[in-house]
Amino acid sequence: MIKALGYFIEIIRGIFITTRHFVVNLFFRCLAVLGIKTKRKGSVTIQYPEQKKEIASRHRSLHRLMTRPDGKPRCVACMLCVTVCPSECIYVEAAEDPDPEIQKYPAKFIIDLSRCCFCGFCVEACPEDAIRMDTGNVEFAQYSQEDMIYDLDKLIG
Amino acid sequence: MQEKTNEMIKIFIDKEPVDAEEGTTVLKAAERAGIHIPHLCYHPAFPPEGSCRMCLVEIEGFPKLELACSTVVKEEMKISTKSERVVEARKAVLEFLLAEHPLDCPICDKAGDCKLQDYYDEYGLFESQFKEAKEKREKKLKIGKSLILDQERCILCTRCVRFLKEVTKTQDLGVFHRGVHSSVNIYEGASVENNYSGNLAEICPVGAITDEDFRFKTRSWFLKEGESICPLCSRGCNILIEYHPGFSRFELPKRVYRIKARENPEVNGFWICDRGRYGYSYLDERRADQIIMNKKEGENELTCENISRHLGEKIKNLSSARKTSGIALILHTWLSNEELFLLHEIFKNDLKVEKIFFADLPDGEADGFLLTSEPSPNRRGAQEIGFDIKTVDLGALADGTDFLLAFGPFLSGLFSSKDLRGALDKIKTKVLFSSNSNELNSLFDVVIPVALIAEKEGSLTNVEGIVQGFQPVLEPPGESLPEWKVLSDLGKELGMDSKFYSEFTSPEAILSEMGKKIPFFKKKND
Repeated sequence: MIKALGYFIEIIRGIFITTRHFVVNLFFRCLAVLGIKTKRKGSVTIQYPEQKKEIASRHRSLHRLMTRPDGKPRCVACMLCVTVCPSECIYVEAAEDPDPEIQKYPAKFIIDLSRCCFCGFCVEACPEDAIRMDTGNVEFAQYSQEDMIYDLDKLIG
Repeated sequence: MQEKTNEMIKIFIDKEPVDAEEGTTVLKAAERAGIHIPHLCYHPAFPPEGSCRMCLVEIEGFPKLELACSTVVKEEMKISTKSERVVEARKAVLEFLLAEHPLDCPICDKAGDCKLQDYYDEYGLFESQFKEAKEKREKKLKIGKSLILDQERCILCTRCVRFLKEVTKTQDLGVFHRGVHSSVNIYEGASVENNYSGNLAEICPVGAITDEDFRFKTRSWFLKEGESICPLCSRGCNILIEYHPGFSRFELPKRVYRIKARENPEVNGFWICDRGRYGYSYLDERRADQIIMNKKEGENELTCENISRHLGEKIKNLSSARKTSGIALILHTWLSNEELFLLHEIFKNDLKVEKIFFADLPDGEADGFLLTSEPSPNRRGAQEIGFDIKTVDLGALADGTDFLLAFGPFLSGLFSSKDLRGALDKIKTKVLFSSNSNELNSLFDVVIPVALIAEKEGSLTNVEGIVQGFQPVLEPPGESLPEWKVLSDLGKELGMDSKFYSEFTSPEAILSEMGKKIPFFKKKND
C-alpha cells in the first residue's frame, strides 16, 4: 500500500515539473515575441523545415566523389570502400585510363543509399581522399528505392 | 621429384631439432619443417639467385648473416630465423626495396597477394626515411600478348628473366643498366609470345608483371580459390580456380576471374599453359541452366529429377532386338572416368549397343612441354575403360536409329548445322546432355543441362595414365546436374542389375567398383 502511494507521489511530482517548464518557457517566449528583452529566451523546438539547425563540421551526410583538377574522378577504383562497407551498398567497376599516371578509373560507381548506414567507413578507407560525406545534404528521401541508387554522375555533380 | 638417396642430417632451427636432407639449403629445410623464411627472389623451380636479400638468417659460427636460399645445411648447424639481428636486417632490406617502389597498391592488381605487402605488414611498419625523388620508369610496357610490365614496381628479383631462360628458353627479358638505374626490360624487337607467358604474372612476387586478362577486373581479396583439374587438354594440369562468390546486392558479369597453376611435380610442375589459363570462359558463357523440351512429351512435365525415369521408359519400350541396333550414343571425353564407366556398363555391356561414337574437338598441336594434341581431358580413360574412340559418322549414326543419346556441345563444331539436321531428323527420339548451349539445342527433343568438371566430383585419366580426382569448386548453374547421377539412376531404372547400380551413390563408390572390374583403375595402395 505504502509502496503504491510512493508511485503516486512521483507521478504528481513529474507532472508538476513538466507543467513548471511549460509555464516558465511559455512566459519567457511570450516576452521574447512581444520584444521585451530578458536573460532567458524560453526554449522551444526548432521549426524544421522552415528553420534549420547548423550541422556540426564533423557530421556525415550524403556522399560526394572528389574530382581531379581536370574534372576526372579522383577515385582509382581500388575497391577498398566496397570491401569495408558493412551494408555492402557500394559497387565499383574499374576501367583502363589511357594516361599511364592514372591507369585505373571507375567506369561505374554506385551507392545504394537505401541500404547505406552512414558509418563513414568508406571515407576512412579511401586512400585517395576521393569520397567524402560532407555535402551537408541530409534530405534525400525518395518515394521509390530506385531513386536512392546514386551513380557516378549524381555523386560527382 | 626429390631423390630419396640423400642421407638425413640433424640441424637446429630456432633451437628446435629438425631433420634435413644432406645437400639441401637452409630455406628448403626450414620449409620442410613448416618454418617460413621470407623470400622474394627464390622460387623452388629455379636455382637460388640471392638478389632480394630477404631470406637472411643468423647461423652460429658465421660472422655475418647468411642467405637461407643458397646456404647448404651442415650437421649440427644452429640457425635462428627470428632473432633480433635477423628481424632488424629484414626491416633494413625491406626499406631498401621500398625506397624505389611506387606504393601504388590501390591500382595494382597484385595487392592482396603481394609478398612485398605481406612482408611489410609482418616485418616493416616503419616510417620512410627516404626524402629523395623516386626514379621515373616505364609504368605500362606491353611485353607480350597479355602481359604488362611496370618497371617502377619491379624489385629486380629476376624470376621472370630466369623463367624465360630456363623453362621456355626464349630469353625475351633481361636486366638492363646498372645500379639504381637497372631495370627489367624486353630486348629490342622481342615479345613474350610463348604458350607459357601467363606464368610470368603468377611468379612475379610483386605487381611488376600483371595480366591483361585479369587487369582491373576485380580485387584479389574478393576471390575464393578451389582446386581443380584443367580440362582443356589431356595433360590434366592441376589448377586453382579463382572465383568471385558474388556481392549480395549487385550482380557480377561472371564467376571465374582467374586460373592459376597448382603445384604437382608428377604432372605439371609449377606451370600451366596459356590455353588452360585464359580459356576459362566456357565456365560462364552460354551456360545451359534449364531443361529444354522442343517436343511435347505427353502429359507429364520433364524435370532434371525425373529425366532418368523418362529415358529408362523410352529404352524399355524398344523391342529387345531394337535395343541393340536402335540405340546410338554420342559421347565425348570431357566425361569423367566414372561416367564413362557407367555408360560402358549400361550401353555396351548390358544393352550391347554398337553405335557408340565420340564427338570431341578436332586434335590440335602439341607444344612439346605441357600442352598435348588432344583437346579433351579423358581420352586415355575412355580407352582404358574399353571404348573404341570412333569419330561420328552421320550416315551410320542415323541408319535405323530410334533413340539417340548425345553428350556434350562439341557436335556443332564438327558438322554444318544442315548436315546435322538432315541426319538427326531421321531419328525418332533424341536427347542431349549439354553444359553450354549452342545451335544443337534446337535439333534435339530434350536438352538436359549438365555440370562441368569444375562443378562436379569425379576423376580423369591423363595422357600418361595418371588418374586424378577432382572435387566441385563452383555451384552448377540452375537445374544442371552431373551426368553420373543421371546415369546411375538410369542403370537402376533399367533394372538390369539393380543391386549393382544402387550402390553408386557417389563417384568414389563408382571408382572403387571400377577398380574391381578394370585393373587399370585399381588404387595403387590397395
